[in-house]
Amino acid sequence: MVSRMKEKFVRSIFFLTAFFAVIVVAFILLFLLRDGYSIFETVGVLNFLFGTIWAPAQVVPSYGISALIIGTLLVTLGAMVFAVPLSIGCAIYISELASPRMKSILKPATELLAGIPSVVYGFFGMIVLSTFIRITFNIPSGQTWLAGSILLGIMALPTIISVSEDAISSVPREYREGSLATGATRWQTISRVIVPAALSGIAAAIILGIGRAIGETMAVIMVTGNTAIVPNPIWNVLSSVRTLTGTLGIETGDVAVGSEHYHALFGVAVVLLLITLIINLSAVAILSHLRDGRRAGRAKRSWLHIPAFSPIREKLLPYSRIVLLALITLMLFAIGLWEVALIIILAAAIWHYGRDRISRRHIEIFAFGCVIAATVAVLAILAIILGYIIINGLPAISWDFLTQGPTDLGRSGGIFPAIVGTLYLVAGAILIALPLGVGAAVYLVEYTREGRITKLIRTGVDLLNGTPSIVFGLFGFAFLVLFLDIGVCLLSGMITLALMVLPTVIRTTEESLKNIPQSLREGSLALGATQWQTIKNVVIPPAIPGIVTGAILSIGRAAGETAPIMFVAVVFSTRFLPTSLFQPVMALPYHLFILSTNVPGSSTNKYGTALVLLILVVAFYSVAIVIRNHYAKKARG
Amino acid sequence: MKTKRSSYVFVTVCLAALLIVSMLVAGCTSNGTTNSVPATASTTPAATAAPAAAQATAAATATQATSAAASSGQTLTLTGSTTVLPIAQAVADAYMANNSNVNIQVSGGGSGVGIQAIINQKVDIGMSSADVSAAQKAQDSQMNIITIAHDGIAIIVNPANTVQDISLDQVKAIYNGSVTSWTSLGGAGVPNSNNQIVLVGRDSSSGTRTYFDQVVMQNTNDSLTMHEDNSNGAVLQEVAQTPNAIGYISIGYLDNTVKALPIVTTNGHVIVPSVATVKDKTYPIHRDLYMITNGKPTGLANDYINYLLSPAGQQIVVAQGYVALNS
Repeated sequence: MVSRMKEKFVRSIFFLTAFFAVIVVAFILLFLLRDGYSIFETVGVLNFLFGTIWAPAQVVPSYGISALIIGTLLVTLGAMVFAVPLSIGCAIYISELASPRMKSILKPATELLAGIPSVVYGFFGMIVLSTFIRITFNIPSGQTWLAGSILLGIMALPTIISVSEDAISSVPREYREGSLATGATRWQTISRVIVPAALSGIAAAIILGIGRAIGETMAVIMVTGNTAIVPNPIWNVLSSVRTLTGTLGIETGDVAVGSEHYHALFGVAVVLLLITLIINLSAVAILSHLRDGRRAGRAKRSWLHIPAFSPIREKLLPYSRIVLLALITLMLFAIGLWEVALIIILAAAIWHYGRDRISRRHIEIFAFGCVIAATVAVLAILAIILGYIIINGLPAISWDFLTQGPTDLGRSGGIFPAIVGTLYLVAGAILIALPLGVGAAVYLVEYTREGRITKLIRTGVDLLNGTPSIVFGLFGFAFLVLFLDIGVCLLSGMITLALMVLPTVIRTTEESLKNIPQSLREGSLALGATQWQTIKNVVIPPAIPGIVTGAILSIGRAAGETAPIMFVAVVFSTRFLPTSLFQPVMALPYHLFILSTNVPGSSTNKYGTALVLLILVVAFYSVAIVIRNHYAKKARG
Repeated sequence: MKTKRSSYVFVTVCLAALLIVSMLVAGCTSNGTTNSVPATASTTPAATAAPAAAQATAAATATQATSAAASSGQTLTLTGSTTVLPIAQAVADAYMANNSNVNIQVSGGGSGVGIQAIINQKVDIGMSSADVSAAQKAQDSQMNIITIAHDGIAIIVNPANTVQDISLDQVKAIYNGSVTSWTSLGGAGVPNSNNQIVLVGRDSSSGTRTYFDQVVMQNTNDSLTMHEDNSNGAVLQEVAQTPNAIGYISIGYLDNTVKALPIVTTNGHVIVPSVATVKDKTYPIHRDLYMITNGKPTGLANDYINYLLSPAGQQIVVAQGYVALNS
């Protein structure tokens, strides 16, 4: 009896942790709506959404966010135009062409790109990229849509690469062998069989990448110019733009709490959240469709089931190519690169009329050349950013820099309190997120069959995963700092960051629990162990490496984030380290943000801070990658 | 089973390595803080942009400040305007140098955050570069606003720009979008460029923007093509690296990476933005900077503000490039 009670109790605890994600999403939406509602009332939903002028500072303030929505969509679209070819090329290279050794170098390298904090990207974009664009295109200012798109594209690369690489790798071997056996070349196999078979996985990867790009704040603020206008003409990528996230990032700090403008900003946050919700839900839908499709396909063992060979798609494919080509050339014309546009048109024409005359072998060489070029480009981007930060940052690094507090507004002195503050923040965040996340994963994997409730919980987790970090920041400010009246302090920051990394913990734990063979559980249960005993003694221990990996990835992510803690947990300077959870701290990403935007003449320390932040985050990521690879090897051997 | 055990060893080693690294970093927690405090104090004079004179006075008033600090072992918190932040931080540095137990935490966020923090009683002193609105005052009847310094707003351009001076009407015409080319102002404009003006301004909740809109724009609308940056430093940075840009920043942020344009007044005087011209109010774009408390400041907050308002504190204001109160 007692043991049954205990079982029930344990089960309900796990259920609560799992349901937590749903509650959090509901809470975030509720609190944003609570503070944003009045703007919809005063301005009107339609005027708010479709009004063209965002000008809260004018004599008669105007709160129309259509220019911001369009800006967000354009920057994201541009990012995808930049990122999709590169990342798919890179994914194909990693999964199909690279030798195992090459693969073991490339995968971690692309994952390192994910580890670079967004404020470091922004810092790089502000100083190097925007100047480069200004000089290259001979335009007055380099703070443009193009700069934002390139930067966001780079930031979306790792997401798209890793998800689509997974999709390509999981195409069954038989497809490949069958195609090669019919005499197709490797490139024909890749382009006609493997990529189409992995298409829905790749689509999901792109949508996840879009989600990543749309929610980014700090990098966007620093490079797009933040001008609330629609580019004229609309494909003018050299116009400056402003995104929804950028508006939140630069205006929230100064606005008077409770004013109309304040409510308008929360209205913006609601719209942003809804857009990301839609995008993420469609990614989830596509992925689950893919999973179902694959299950069905495997059951039938039928080639014909691959959706890519449906007649409609075959008909549509050439048109979509033409449309894409037309779009790209139009855009190049618009920014004055008509020479490049001409070359592209010429190449397309040659391709169209000459493709039958070119030998398959030459096509293959050309295609592989492109794929390798994409991979090299990704590696080059990584090398340029890392190299820039390291070369400029190294001179600042010294023992004093690492162990002393800042003086003269951070222009001199060190960053010791910021390093410790960041460690405190992430330690607290992971202590909160780990039990909740592991509990939720255990509930989802061990305690339930797939049903309505798990679907709800999973959706909650996915939505939380796609929520932009600045929205967490606003939620933390409205709920923790103002409503609960905790104030700007370490505790608020830990909770906000914990909510942000919760989905990562849940997902990685879930993955590692799923990899535990069912026979182990059955064996344990057959011996008379209760379910809780089975979980505690049989299932969790071998899953620990996976859980640890997830935790470390979360730590890395939390350490590099600026937007969530900006209004919630940090001070610019403090003399002593915090002695309680109710004191604010310094944090590396915020310190870097202030140094690079607020303190002129801090160049050496600015680069030094960027380098230390980079090393810290990359160190966390590297450890996670090493642990994961070690276990992947173990699992195979 | 064997593989499993070695796996555990591996994870343990990895985690231990991580732990050791963080310990190494945090290992300085114990001796680091105690060491760093006097070191911080001693590096201040050498490193600050502050002239030696200001430091000397700061040191001279050490006794004064120390006597005031009966309130040792306390924490003082300041939040708000990034324009006021450099003053608050520099004064805090000097104050803490003389009171080794006092901890002063300065954070930015913006004028709105500073005022709200006072209304919510979450901070000892709020900083604002904007006038407190009636609505904000209504939320806190105790609110006590202290003017701590004067500030001028300088119109800045890139050093490559050949424009020598500018009138407020021209500035207004540029910012409302009716003048879009540097050559329209007469002269060579920006050599080797298309002379198209790049407008750089502040975000719409900035105190500096509010003031600029009132005084220069006379409450007409800024052009929507204006780039909006969220701090003085960001405007400075953008103007410094963009040859065709124009921007406006607090004179405390001026340095040699940009050119501050003298203003031609309606009666033909050419006035350089400087501490002297802001002080005698001949420079037309000047304003006040505030610190805000809940009721009359007491204890450490009172000591801090008194120190800031004392001659030594006002020397620091000058050293940071702002304008001292009339003395």
